[in-house]
Amino acid sequence: MRRPHGLLWVAVGALFLLLPVLSWAGGTKEQNGAMTAPGGLPRNETVYTGGFQWGPPTNFNPLSGNPAWPTGGDGSMGGNGVGFIYETLFMFNILDGSYAPLLGKSMEWTKPDQLTVTLQPGAMWQDGQPLTAKDVAFTFDLGKRFSLSYSPMWDYVSKVTAVNDHTVQIDLSKVNQGAVAQYVATIYILPEHIWSKIADQGQQALLAETNFAPVGSGPYKLKTYSPQQVVLEQASSYWGSSLYGMPTPKYVAHPIFKSNDDGNLALKQGDLDWSQQFVPNVWTIPNVKTWYDHKPYYVPGSIPMLVINTQKPGLNNPLVRRALAYSINYPLIAQTAMSEYSIPAKSSLIIPTGYESKYYDQSNVDKYGWSYDPAKATDILQNQLHATKGSDGVYVLPDGTKLSFTIQTPYGWTDWMAACQVVSQSAKAVGIDISTRFPQAPEDISDVQTGNFDMGVFYVAGVGPASPWLRFQNIMDSRGVPPEGKTAFWDYGRFSDPAVAPLLDKAAASTTENQKKEYLGELDKLFMQQVPAIPLMYRPLVFYEFNTTHWTGFPTDSNPTAPPLFYISDLWHLQPK
Amino acid sequence: MANPFRKYIVNKLVWYVIAFFVAITLNFFLPRLIPGNPVDVLVSQFLRSGGTGAGANKIYQAFIAQFGLEKPILVQFGTYVLNIFRGNLGQSFSLYPARVTTLIGQALPWTLALQLPAIIIGWILGNMLGALAAYKRGVFDRTLFVSSLAMSSIPYYAFAIILLYLFAVVIPIFPAGGGYSFGVTPSLSLHFIGDALTHYTLPFLSLILIAIGGQAVGMRSMAIYELGSDYVNYSTGLGVREERILAFVFRNAMLPQVSGLALSLGTLVGGALITEIVFSYPGIGTLLFNAITANDYPLIQGVTLLIIVGVLLANFLVDIAYGYIDPRIRTARMGER
Repeated sequence: MRRPHGLLWVAVGALFLLLPVLSWAGGTKEQNGAMTAPGGLPRNETVYTGGFQWGPPTNFNPLSGNPAWPTGGDGSMGGNGVGFIYETLFMFNILDGSYAPLLGKSMEWTKPDQLTVTLQPGAMWQDGQPLTAKDVAFTFDLGKRFSLSYSPMWDYVSKVTAVNDHTVQIDLSKVNQGAVAQYVATIYILPEHIWSKIADQGQQALLAETNFAPVGSGPYKLKTYSPQQVVLEQASSYWGSSLYGMPTPKYVAHPIFKSNDDGNLALKQGDLDWSQQFVPNVWTIPNVKTWYDHKPYYVPGSIPMLVINTQKPGLNNPLVRRALAYSINYPLIAQTAMSEYSIPAKSSLIIPTGYESKYYDQSNVDKYGWSYDPAKATDILQNQLHATKGSDGVYVLPDGTKLSFTIQTPYGWTDWMAACQVVSQSAKAVGIDISTRFPQAPEDISDVQTGNFDMGVFYVAGVGPASPWLRFQNIMDSRGVPPEGKTAFWDYGRFSDPAVAPLLDKAAASTTENQKKEYLGELDKLFMQQVPAIPLMYRPLVFYEFNTTHWTGFPTDSNPTAPPLFYISDLWHLQPK
Repeated sequence: MANPFRKYIVNKLVWYVIAFFVAITLNFFLPRLIPGNPVDVLVSQFLRSGGTGAGANKIYQAFIAQFGLEKPILVQFGTYVLNIFRGNLGQSFSLYPARVTTLIGQALPWTLALQLPAIIIGWILGNMLGALAAYKRGVFDRTLFVSSLAMSSIPYYAFAIILLYLFAVVIPIFPAGGGYSFGVTPSLSLHFIGDALTHYTLPFLSLILIAIGGQAVGMRSMAIYELGSDYVNYSTGLGVREERILAFVFRNAMLPQVSGLALSLGTLVGGALITEIVFSYPGIGTLLFNAITANDYPLIQGVTLLIIVGVLLANFLVDIAYGYIDPRIRTARMGER
């Protein structure tokens, strides 16, 4: 029979061979997602940063729910991109609690309930318009007119007035200097002449604004963006260049990786200069440095918290919670889940180092707190609770409640998943049965917020001007917390104690450090006695690591020219290699 | 002849329209059964970037209103159906405020470029091999049959992982993932096309080899069946030339293969989901997967609507084609009247 398809075979064979040939002819050889030809940016004028943007950029609107780097984190500590395109009034230093000037020159509590902020002279927008107190007042007022991330500021503020072009006066309705200072230090100031038109169209328009050509006051402009990276370019002029100098890199580029592994590989290969990612065993990687060159390498900024549902039978007994607190192997969590980046967690809600150390009271912790002590846990279970161990090794309380619970955290948050597993194993060793659950993030968040959980690892407030007060509020304040079944935004464990509210208010209203320390100490004591939650480990606000292959001069503990946060001030003293 | 055929088409059309409406209803309600709330994803991003509880509350309220999630479910459903007919698929929740049509438009070319050649070339090659095996018989047939059967039995995603492991990790010839390298901007340059092709090869091979296997097995069975049928024996006995007989044989054997091809093409829009995830390929599959994990209702609805339309259209066209190609079907329908 004729074989007309002989020719077809040849054609197909050619096709199969052509594919790889074509791809090698034109393509750049690359391995596992690392960058080679970075789209034409000069390497010695570009700083590559990563770890803030994980999906394609859909908007550069600081007020939206998901702004792309560097316009995210508006109104919160750990905000990413402070001072690049948009600037805040001040930059808070989590190590010593100081406020470095940016748009603001100084701030002063003229009265306990009045804050006066003086702006730097000569501040200007990138389109040439002057930046005045009117822009500051407008930006703060947006939080009052609409439902924005920094709207809670208006729980404490009654009025923000532009006294003159360079002075802003903030009047408080309720004295809480820390909370107000936190907002003042973290809100991106927006140009009134551009945003008032959008704001007048209403909340929907304001949140839906894509802002793909952001006009800020900072030294960088948006050059290009794509699902693969965001690139900033130095603006032609910057109002603060005489005060702060121009940051050294001409370009700042943020590649968008699919996962931690891709980013960590790029960091190792020197394709990333400045990274905010969890890198296991960072001290073993050549050329990669962190803030400290010894343990714990990173500055503690927040406490991933084991939140306990105090309404659940069994967990509603503070003694059970205390027994659990004694049983957890904190050194193991610091070693495995946090890869040695944390000291073993202390039982206080106050972080023992950095800005919060002045409130930390070690004697308080020694007297009322706990540590890893399984013998003590067993003692509480047997002698104080009079629980009996069942045949399966799990304790049962005298009223018949079996100490069997679940712990949950979102699937994919590997360090928290590891911490959950350590908790589960530790508790099992003592006789409390805890099984782990890792639902998808939206489901877990919904569970925790509605009180539909036994125990969960969750966020609480990190270091900032409002902490540690804010952390106590997050964990213990039952005011404004709906019952189980409805969504809560703090005190997920539905803990309540009548002594909490007056102490919180007094701590908030304190005007001297000593007073504040006293009230916070009382709250801490109550916390350690009642155990509504258990600090598991310390985590930095942002992971601060950098590669010295192409750029030197990043601030470190031995050269603290700026704090280990990704502020613009970190770029002021960089030098290309 | 035209009228009964038209009746046949209209009859089919009515059922397809009903199926479409049932599908879009399920399309709306099923994603909302997933536990969790689309706004919670935004809230978690906010908390991760250092936000506090009170701020999260504001974000939550603001976006429930922004996404219209506080309206009664039937009102939301009505808006959804109306918008479909206006061509408005809405804005994604997790990638707000990007429009769903834009996102699908960006991802679709990658999926089409990956799947279309794989399906069509796989179909052609597979059928040729299968027919050849049925005709030649002997050693060729046996080796082909066994290897095709093996290929078609491997789940396509397992094969994808095997290829990835062998040719991107053990022997690193090809990249391990992505549509193109970092720092390379999509353009019509040789550089970009070459780079994209390097990333294209492994996913393409993982699909085409299995497609060939599946088609070869199917065609071989059909061809063997046809080759053993009465009219072939009778014609051979009458002395009809071999090529003429084979032409009829293969035309009959192709029928189910054609419908198979049409169905593959219809479902291709759904993307070889796991292949795309394994290779981090920026197609519809990855888009749908990310949308599902983020409870992004408009995006899920948009992609599944595309799949529904693709499948229904493919099935409808196959029915028409069958009615046209195979006279037995038409006459059977007419006989029923």
